[in-house]
Amino acid sequence: MSTAIAEREVALVDLVDRLLAGGVVLAGEITLSVADVDLVYVSLRALISSVPTAEQGALPRMGSAL
Amino acid sequence: MIELYAIAQRPGPPLPDIAPLRELACGELGAICGTAAEESEITEDALWRHERIVEAVMETRDLLPVRYGTRFAGDEQAVDVVAARSGTLKAALERVRGAVELSFRVRAREPDVSIDVHASLQPLARESMTRPAPDEGELLRAAYLVERDRVPEVRDEVARLQHEHPELSLLLTGPWPPYSFVER
Repeated sequence: MSTAIAEREVALVDLVDRLLAGGVVLAGEITLSVADVDLVYVSLRALISSVPTAEQGALPRMGSAL
Repeated sequence: MIELYAIAQRPGPPLPDIAPLRELACGELGAICGTAAEESEITEDALWRHERIVEAVMETRDLLPVRYGTRFAGDEQAVDVVAARSGTLKAALERVRGAVELSFRVRAREPDVSIDVHASLQPLARESMTRPAPDEGELLRAAYLVERDRVPEVRDEVARLQHEHPELSLLLTGPWPPYSFVER
């Protein structure tokens, strides 16, 4: 696994935390179901536990840089 | 169907050409939006695509990121909702003006480790939030609202803390749009 891919996957936890649980909630139509969110979290947990080395000492510069 | 990305003050600089974006005028606020994608399924690529757009706008403007998946039937509906909450939204924009969000996670590499690294970073931030119940094995999951020009200072401090505490695994990501600092 390349470093860039590992960093992107580690950052995915932070991305999901923010996009799906943060931000301004307006009265629009939130089209995504809770079941979908849970599924994303489940797959994330599996992903993170499989890339422990990526967390060791790395300070990834996130987001659009990846 | 349109999808909202962010709320910002108007007028602002031109929108980035990373995607076909439009800015709806809602008084002194602008609602930055695009045509909603056909599918509404969450995929990793869709999340990153959304994030890249918000980050591109954030490069030149302070903004409030909107919760992922916020869609409206048309421009008018979106404008009505934003205009109705303009007072709250303007106050929220003031709160994050000039700042970005950094995410910080701490894991212990050894059992029975208890070190308060949050106390070292908190003074560098305008505001901070910690998640009440981090995941198993996680000592801390925090978000910091940091002045744009102080981001390198936080990075350096995390690097220093990591050097000082090899028994911890520190992970700092960002800068993110201020997702964790838009609601009180």
